[in-house]
Amino acid sequence: MKWNLLAVGAVCAGMIAGQAIAQEPIKIGIPVGLSGANSVVAPSVVQSSELAAEEINAAGGILGRPIELVIADDGSGAQGAQRAFDSLVFQSEVDVLISMETSAARNAGLPIVNRGRTPYIYTSFYEGRSCSPWMYVNAWVPEQQVAPIVDHFMAEFDSKTFYLIGSDYAFGRGMLEFTRSYVEANGGTVLGEDYLPMDGSDWTAVISNLKSANPDALITSTAGGAPNVTLTKQLRAAGVDIPYGNLAVDEGTAKSMGADATGIYIAASYITGIESPENAAFLAAMADKFGDDLETPNDLSVPQYEAVYLYKAAVEMAGSTDPDAVIEALGKVSFTGPRGTLTMNKQRHTPLTMYLGQVTEDGTVEVIESFANVDPGEQCPQFAE
Amino acid sequence: MSTLALDIITTGMILFAVASGLMIILGVMKLINFAHGAFLTVGGYTAYLTTEAGISPWLSAPLAGIFGFVCGLVIERIIVRPLYDRPLDAILATWGLGIVIGQVITLAFGRGVQFAESPLSGTLDFGAIEYSSYRIAVTLIAFGLAVALTALLYLTRFGLNARAVIMNETLARGLGIDSAQVRALTFGLGAGLACAAGALITPLLSVDPNMGLPWLVNSFMLVLVSGVSIPSLLIASLVLGGAQVVVSTFVSPIIGGLTIVVLAALVLRINPKGLSIG
Repeated sequence: MKWNLLAVGAVCAGMIAGQAIAQEPIKIGIPVGLSGANSVVAPSVVQSSELAAEEINAAGGILGRPIELVIADDGSGAQGAQRAFDSLVFQSEVDVLISMETSAARNAGLPIVNRGRTPYIYTSFYEGRSCSPWMYVNAWVPEQQVAPIVDHFMAEFDSKTFYLIGSDYAFGRGMLEFTRSYVEANGGTVLGEDYLPMDGSDWTAVISNLKSANPDALITSTAGGAPNVTLTKQLRAAGVDIPYGNLAVDEGTAKSMGADATGIYIAASYITGIESPENAAFLAAMADKFGDDLETPNDLSVPQYEAVYLYKAAVEMAGSTDPDAVIEALGKVSFTGPRGTLTMNKQRHTPLTMYLGQVTEDGTVEVIESFANVDPGEQCPQFAE
Repeated sequence: MSTLALDIITTGMILFAVASGLMIILGVMKLINFAHGAFLTVGGYTAYLTTEAGISPWLSAPLAGIFGFVCGLVIERIIVRPLYDRPLDAILATWGLGIVIGQVITLAFGRGVQFAESPLSGTLDFGAIEYSSYRIAVTLIAFGLAVALTALLYLTRFGLNARAVIMNETLARGLGIDSAQVRALTFGLGAGLACAAGALITPLLSVDPNMGLPWLVNSFMLVLVSGVSIPSLLIASLVLGGAQVVVSTFVSPIIGGLTIVVLAALVLRINPKGLSIG
């Protein structure tokens, strides 16, 4: 008798579970650079997407439908992105694309997004002014990131002359171009601007030029990873100790660089040290879910986490996954996540709270100043509200 | 101005250290070792492991050299020796070997950037200018290496045999020189030099699975221009490396990155023997 009851219970449980599964899932496409230049950061992006999906599914999904993540490798570049976007949009027929990618991959994917009429949330900081009727961006652009560093150098160290060094690609040049105009608009002078190819590692001549120009402050924007590390090491070996703002270093890299990174100024919309209940809960949930395999959450992975929730809010406001209705709603909804309360309502971009930090001797980033709701400026005037 | 002179000398000597392993193998084995870049990377990771193990960073280059020498002997026996009669296939095999080594490193250590400790930090004062002390140290070590290699080739039995094999392998074999052994030792030596150079340049660079690649092309060009001779490699490194520094300083570092390749092609076009002396 007892066994019969158990069996009935099991069947009932199975039926309830079956009903939940029977609801067609909402598919979220995530094209991301699992191979190539972004492969160092991509695992953290995948992890934060997984956490968001798990949390949302545990709380009943979106409009009662579970989330299913479809992850595709974009190879960190244009060719791979075309394949990834094509298969996600036309074969997997995802409801939305949410991803952190290189600018090359994003630019290659946008025509496919436009053709497939799929909402797309871009979650990587980038050089700005990329516009599509189907795209929203919830990460920073130069207008938001450069100003805190330059302002701080000018106010704190009375820096008047700047030197700019970067890697020769869209992001490196875009960031420094903006930095130059910002410095000049604020009464400073740029003494020199030097670039090395992305795979270059010998900064000898650049550093000698920098030293002979003798500027008050240095701002760099290299590709992440190796170029950033080689430049910083060679700068330190050459005895450069002027205020040094690095637009491309993240907390993890700074930490592993050890003593060479000490004193570097960074500006970011997310650092692990943000003191808020949302950030504490997020970090605890990440540590709990991934344990020893946890990739440190960063300024690229946290926007990804928040974007999944922003999409959830938009679908709930629209009442369906209909692309036009969702795009309409994405510009209105808010979500309070580890980086604070976000609304993607400024010409498809997002006002963000930015943090100016300095790397301390033990490799952690100390917040010097925070700037609430920094405006992204004129990014896509055609979408002005 | 004197910073420029120091830049030229240090850059040239670093290039010499990096290219010497490639030249030794090319000279004796008539084989362009495309795994050279991967050997440099292995040297970088040896330096990283040395740091991890808490051993003095001064020992990382010698340890990498020994490790590279042993690996070189094994690789020569398994991969290169069966292809002696098929030189083009042997070159392809080293290319493939480079890819395999790169992937094995990626699997073992991940794609991320690692760090090795620098034995020397800070700068040296030369009157009006200060200059990176580690670059000066590397320059001195590279110069010592040039002297040691010359001594090895001209003052030892192995050197005599190696020079005989370089000049005329068939004749050398006819005179009773075990050319297979000379080849094996040479490949080991070349691999060891490459690994040691990789460890030596690591404090100036980051350790990542692709760190050796940019150096492969420049080393290859230098060796093509210099031919098989230590003094001419030294001259080629200083002249072409110097040109790279000058172009980078006064024109643009992006064009500077092309200087060695373009100049090497020009030199070979004008004088097919390149800069080789002796």
